[in-house]
Amino acid sequence: MSKESRMKATINQKLTEMGERERLKELLRAKLTECGWKDQMKAHCKEVIKEKGLEHVTVEDLMVEITPKGRALVPDSVKKELLHRIRAFLAQHAT
Amino acid sequence: FQVNHPGDFSLSPIKPKLNVLSVMSPAGCSHVNGYKVDNWKQNLRVIYQCFVWSGTAETRRRKAKSCICHMCGAHLNRLHSCLYCVFFGCFTKKHIHEHAKNKRHNLAIDLLYGGIYCFVCQDYIYDKDMEQIAKEEQRKAWKLQGTPLLFLRIGEKYTTWEPTKRELELLRHNPKRRKITTNCTIGLRGLINLGNTCFMNCIVQALTHTPLLRDFFLSDRHKCEMQSNSCLVCEMSQLFQEFYSGHRSPHIPFRLLHLVWTHARHLAGYEQQDAHEFLIAALDVLHRHCKGDDNGKKANNPNHCNCIIDQIFTGGLQSDVTCQVCHGVSTTIDPFWDISLDLPGSSTPFWPLSPGGDGSTVNGESHLSGSTTLTDCLRRFTRPEHLGSSAKIKCGGCHSYQESTKQLTMKKLPIVACFHLKRFEHSAKLRRKITTYVSFPLELDMTPFMASSKESRMNGQYQQTVDVLNNDNKYSLFAVVNHQGTLESGHYTSFIRQHKDQWFKCDDAIITKASIKDVLDSEG
Repeated sequence: MSKESRMKATINQKLTEMGERERLKELLRAKLTECGWKDQMKAHCKEVIKEKGLEHVTVEDLMVEITPKGRALVPDSVKKELLHRIRAFLAQHAT
Repeated sequence: FQVNHPGDFSLSPIKPKLNVLSVMSPAGCSHVNGYKVDNWKQNLRVIYQCFVWSGTAETRRRKAKSCICHMCGAHLNRLHSCLYCVFFGCFTKKHIHEHAKNKRHNLAIDLLYGGIYCFVCQDYIYDKDMEQIAKEEQRKAWKLQGTPLLFLRIGEKYTTWEPTKRELELLRHNPKRRKITTNCTIGLRGLINLGNTCFMNCIVQALTHTPLLRDFFLSDRHKCEMQSNSCLVCEMSQLFQEFYSGHRSPHIPFRLLHLVWTHARHLAGYEQQDAHEFLIAALDVLHRHCKGDDNGKKANNPNHCNCIIDQIFTGGLQSDVTCQVCHGVSTTIDPFWDISLDLPGSSTPFWPLSPGGDGSTVNGESHLSGSTTLTDCLRRFTRPEHLGSSAKIKCGGCHSYQESTKQLTMKKLPIVACFHLKRFEHSAKLRRKITTYVSFPLELDMTPFMASSKESRMNGQYQQTVDVLNNDNKYSLFAVVNHQGTLESGHYTSFIRQHKDQWFKCDDAIITKASIKDVLDSEG
């Protein structure tokens, strides 16, 4: 594993252990709902389902279709806030 | 004012050709039958508790250590756990797929969301029994998490709506659906004036357009425990039904008026009343009648009430009295439903806003135009006030009567904040209406008026830059009630906001489209 992925793994471990990961997930969920991202993605999913047909579409199909768009549409402010939170947490729990 | 509300009320259309009603029942697959043997339920619960929704510190530690892919060590890439053995594998890199093929273990669980994947069906499946277990374990974990970050203040975590059998039946029998578009006018309805009842009509318009209140009533959350027919909350519920029925003719609120007269005697009679008084009286009666909605929690008492009215409208006002001699501070916090603000032109002097004056601009306003702003009024409201030698307070520190200063700040902000501009002066000498124009913004940041901000200022931490990312104290204007005329004879109208930025003027039975400029130019 590269140094970067080792660092990521360590950070993830710390976040999970302290329950911060769950809190961040909730924060992210709320922020993405507030800014309308969730509604946008929902609408896009409906389009994909219409295209592929309800009987044939799989979760995988949806994931492949909406992941790139979803990633791109996350507002910078949300990214900034989460980054800020993670940094603050790591600073607080530095070993 | 209302906190930036996530999204807006929308009903998704159920198109007949999708036959969604049949798909809504969980679609399981037969391949789970091989798994559902022996003690499978308990095993599944353990997996949820330990690896998906880890509620305790111990399970979290174990999750942090062991939830990595057994093939590549990654913790991301949509990690899944095999349901048949202890194996974690990435989904994205297909490590779990390899395991499934090699060991013929056809079921895996997504550690992020708890979904069950069947490798034979090659899709996530929804088995009723497993879904039930998943829900229960998720609830358990949430409870253990302590103060959940963003539970809806109604007291439950948001879960997507799943219709009950009865609801499915109702939907089938009533196939007509209404789609809410961004410019539809549902929810708008005029109110007939029953004889100087415009004061009531305005407040009703404001209440029926309070999103959280609307959502509460339209989802039938009120469980009535009153024996008689005089429950105001039930009447409110009826009112919402009337407003959102789609009928365009004005509604005649005679039952509401009658109930208000019954429960708030001081408002009875056909003379013109004060809209603000009506708002407070209405909130009070609604709060008292909400007994059935507490979900078994403490009965309605002002300090612990959990009714919808308190959840939406109640804030906490902190009053600090500082002794001028020993500088000891005595603090009390009182609940409030509204903030009544004095205006310039009344008999009590308005300017300067605080002893010594404070020149900072708040909420980006300037005084170039010369008009008073809402934030000026708020700054005055929260200014330290010398109580003077004739109003000495008994100081607990000095054990004697001393001069003191008193200051009000916001301890807890309500979800919906009501600001009342005290335009009607009823002093001993005169009764008059103050018509000073007060400008108010579309968006209001209450941060400078918070008790916490005052503390930071006192500790020397001057907040030079407003935290743009933090929306906690920010409000969005959604209703304005105006009074035209004099104290003796006048007329109330209101502006209310529909959707994100559409405003309408409500003049009793007449509803007209209004511009944002109309709203902001109005007296308030």
